Amino acid sequence: MESITSVTLRSLYISSIASLIAFSLALAISIALSSLSRRRAEMVLSIFEIFVGFPTIVIGVVLYILFYPRGPLGVLGILYTPYAIIIGEFLVALPIAVTHMFRYVYELKNYVRELVLSLGGSEKHVVKILIRELVPIMISSYLLAFSRAIGELGVALVVGGGIEGYTNVLTTAIALQTSLGNYEQAIQLGGVLIAITATIAAVLKVLGEYVLWRSS
Amino acid sequence: MEIELKNIWYSYDSYTYVLKDVNLVLREPGLYVVVGPNGSGKTTLLKILSLIIKPSKGSVLVNGRDFWVLGDDEKSLIRKSIVYVHDKPVLLRGSVRYNVELGLRLRGEKRGDEVLEYISRYGLREVLDKPVNKLSAGQAKAMTIVRALILKPKILALDEPFTFLDNTKVKLLIEDIQRIVRDGGIVVIATHYMYRDLEDISKNVIEVVNGEVATLSSVKKNPTL
Ligand SMILES: Nc1ncnc2c1ncn2[C@@H]1O[C@H](COP(=O)(O)OP(=O)(O)O)[C@@H](O)[C@H]1O
Ligand SMILES: [Mg+2]
Repeated sequence: MESITSVTLRSLYISSIASLIAFSLALAISIALSSLSRRRAEMVLSIFEIFVGFPTIVIGVVLYILFYPRGPLGVLGILYTPYAIIIGEFLVALPIAVTHMFRYVYELKNYVRELVLSLGGSEKHVVKILIRELVPIMISSYLLAFSRAIGELGVALVVGGGIEGYTNVLTTAIALQTSLGNYEQAIQLGGVLIAITATIAAVLKVLGEYVLWRSS
Repeated sequence: MEIELKNIWYSYDSYTYVLKDVNLVLREPGLYVVVGPNGSGKTTLLKILSLIIKPSKGSVLVNGRDFWVLGDDEKSLIRKSIVYVHDKPVLLRGSVRYNVELGLRLRGEKRGDEVLEYISRYGLREVLDKPVNKLSAGQAKAMTIVRALILKPKILALDEPFTFLDNTKVKLLIEDIQRIVRDGGIVVIATHYMYRDLEDISKNVIEVVNGEVATLSSVKKNPTL
């Protein structure tokens, strides 16, 4: 049986890549949406909002159908590989990253723009200062995406398959050990997962003060 | 420096106009006071005068040239002469010092002693190294006013400058406004409440009602200013 350390490292690795992609795209989407009118941007945003609580198992099944050897993307041969989990977790994490970041980016862009122009700065200064102001929200948005990715089971199980030494991550390992009756193992793995997500929650709380003070 | 608004219309949502066919010239040095009820369009008017937002229709002429068709470099250069201070303090993450020196930094200028003078005058010396979000509303407002004053713009636009300020700071600010005007500057303020002290020194009262400039009265009570 695989060691807890090796499962944990694999989980961290897969989820951090998935959430990095999700976060980067969320930032690009937020910035792109911020040049639309408020109403249009809110319309696009509501699509992402629908997907925030979307059942991950459904995303897993959709990807399974796509990646199945005779499926539309079967030629890629990525079913039951870490890549399939990364793609799945990316899709799971994207909506929360976008909804967390978008309104903030939207408000802040106008806010910073007006301030910088009013003090005699240029459009270049606007971008520079906007990025500086966005740092806390970027970190918290990344961590939220990561937290959602590492804690989900549906995608990892359906397209990863929980293959020991290859695609087994914390959540699939917990499911596997529980079904084998190895409750002690399952609880230890659960402890690791909780420690990771609780740490993230604590960091988010501290960051929240930096993110939210402006609106208070 | 002269700013002229010609047939200005403005809409935030492209349905309703919050400014309707506004015409206005700021030419002579002095204090211009924009008065009107809440929501009448004072803030919008000031932001257009300050070259921050682009009117939906109409043109803004700076020394006779249409500002919004100029290139970015020229726009930037002209904007350095006009500073607008928001009604609600606009703050960036960081210390009071970082925030108060923002304008100078954007312009690549340094003005050590003078800056400290203004900072002390408005009671901000003790809080310079505090995080800006720890300031009281009045201190934050004073900080944004100091941030603008130290830039010594030709045109200074202050949006509801007296809200949040205590009596002492209101008096100091009125003194500073008077001094700028005496030195040949233009100060435009938007306020929903007309202070007596202001009435005495203002050259023009611009009354905005429902997005239209209702009356343009030249006050000549004190011809020496
Ligand atoms: N960012 C905005 N988006 C949409 N409507 C706005 C915005 N800012 C102001 N308005 C509207 O424009 C009108 C004029 O507002 P404003 O210029 O702030 O008036 P005042 O400064 O005289 O109180 C108001 O009806 C207000 O609701
Ligand atoms: Mg206003």
